[in-house]
Amino acid sequence: MEKLYKFLKYTFIILWTVFIVAPFLWAISTSFKDFQSVNSKVTYIPWLDFEPTLEGWRVLVKSPARGGVDIVEPYFNSLFVTCTASLISIVLGTLAAYALSRFTFKAGFVRNNDITFFFISQRIMPPIVLSIPFFIFLSTIGLLDSLIGLVVVYIVLLMPIAVWIMVDFFNRVPKELDETALIDGCNPYQAFYKVVLPNSIPGLIVAGMFCIIFGWIDFFFAFILTFTEVQLLPVKVVALNSSITPWWSLSASALISVAPLIIVAFVVERYLSKGNLSGALK
Amino acid sequence: MAKIELSNISHTYNPNDTNPTYALNPFSMTWENGKRYAILGPSGCGKTTMLNIVSGLVRPSKGKILFDENDVTDLITEERNIAQVFQFPVIYNTMTVYDNLAFPLRCRNFSDQKIEERVKSVSDTLRLSSFLKSPARKLTADQKQLISLGRGLVREDVAGVLMDEPLTVIDPDLKFRLRRNLKEINEQYKTTLVYVTHDQNEAMTFADNIIVMDQGEIVQVGLPKDLFERPRTTFVGYFIGSPAMNLFETEASSNDCVKINGTLIKTNTNLSKLKDKKIKLGIRSEFINLAEDQKHNLLSVEVDKVEDLGNYKLLTAKMGELTIKSKINREIEVPSSDVKLHIPADKCCVYDNEILI
Repeated sequence: MEKLYKFLKYTFIILWTVFIVAPFLWAISTSFKDFQSVNSKVTYIPWLDFEPTLEGWRVLVKSPARGGVDIVEPYFNSLFVTCTASLISIVLGTLAAYALSRFTFKAGFVRNNDITFFFISQRIMPPIVLSIPFFIFLSTIGLLDSLIGLVVVYIVLLMPIAVWIMVDFFNRVPKELDETALIDGCNPYQAFYKVVLPNSIPGLIVAGMFCIIFGWIDFFFAFILTFTEVQLLPVKVVALNSSITPWWSLSASALISVAPLIIVAFVVERYLSKGNLSGALK
Repeated sequence: MAKIELSNISHTYNPNDTNPTYALNPFSMTWENGKRYAILGPSGCGKTTMLNIVSGLVRPSKGKILFDENDVTDLITEERNIAQVFQFPVIYNTMTVYDNLAFPLRCRNFSDQKIEERVKSVSDTLRLSSFLKSPARKLTADQKQLISLGRGLVREDVAGVLMDEPLTVIDPDLKFRLRRNLKEINEQYKTTLVYVTHDQNEAMTFADNIIVMDQGEIVQVGLPKDLFERPRTTFVGYFIGSPAMNLFETEASSNDCVKINGTLIKTNTNLSKLKDKKIKLGIRSEFINLAEDQKHNLLSVEVDKVEDLGNYKLLTAKMGELTIKSKINREIEVPSSDVKLHIPADKCCVYDNEILI
């Protein structure tokens, strides 16, 4: 029985790993192929089945004038927009979440939970609903097709995630911890940043990870709110496609698009597996 | 170290309701400098609210708090220089044991030398010296509670150390030693200690003065002996002592006698104004004994059961509907049938409307 269980367990793990890894292997192999190797017959192994070439990768860094597509600038645009928006979202979101977790707000029938829901409701709506107001808003303040405009929009999209995760996290940090800090001689601000915040690092990392992922992969708003001046990576990658699909450069660009998220996943995994998400009490 | 005065304090958690319920009913009290106080009462009686009001975590709905005659009602916790230890250990997970203990001093800008000296002294007292460099989160629950306690004791100049059932998670042996340590610290530094508990033995052994609370009221303040011998209400009689005080519903039949199941029992209380009124007679089981050569104040009872509780025997006897409990020296043989119990007049407490006369 135990052997069967072990067998099933490992079979499942192997199948799942193949399911996850195969597209990557496929993309890696394709990114080193040329037109001939992709379109003629099915090929797998470099040097035996096909002659590897760096053409798919070179196209990505060459300027359009020289026949390339240049995704370097969109790449850094994406990095800038995602990191800035995530950072601001985390800072504002954490402060908002702390307040929502520790103080009681009342305005008419609105209570803390309603305010939290109000934040999250931004994510519940289909993005298309928000696109027109965002478009009009950005064009009114003259930030359409600009990095700053995108940062503003992404903050609106990412902050709910930060608030949502951090409210839940702070609710699990006992309020006695803040009270102890006050008794020990901190003022309320010091109690927050000297005691509560260091205890909340796992929560901040999780929230940060989600913000970065959702910011980095967004295509919809990047597509609608930019034209020629500014382009973000997802839009540029999609734009690679033309009448003849360049599978090699598409694969290469997919791989470098995914790279930052893989790095984030490896860094964050350590904190997630530690499981010390709470527990200042007891 | 300070004299702490609570003047006409009352508190409700729902002040905007038309009919607010009070967690603490109006009261005034003074905690003298350098004394040990225990607040005793069942869960939800307002003990923790009272501590939180003193430490400034809760602002009282009404009344004033004075530290050495200075009004601190509007001061925030940070400015009151008070220490409070909660029921469950609260530690700074991200810091070492040393940093945890040093934190209250660092917040108040003490010199490094002073901090080291104080942390060393407190960690020696609490036997935490060998863990000073360990991360605080790696310690066991009772060691963590010692850190909480240590943070409370590390400042010598605190107005008072408030402890909210601090020894709940600590094992009995260590509990005993810590209580003694707290007493020593109190005697050495003259720190005002206020100790909330629902364990009467803890309160009796620890405190100079005991404050008994029930349903937001302060029922009695006094020495352990007074609380035991002269409980001011039937609640105190019932709550303090194990087993609880024997209470008999009765009525006064003469100037100093009550009638229990037809038997006259003399008391030392003047009952002339209470004639024919329903009253209660209370007497501790410790003061009821098997009659030897006494002639008066005897109750003829039927032995229900005798339990040997190690250091004494607990006799449960019936007299009609009444149940009487008596603690008897374990050397004495108790007959298994009818016995006579002696009720000493000077130990009888008479309660009119649940309040001692």
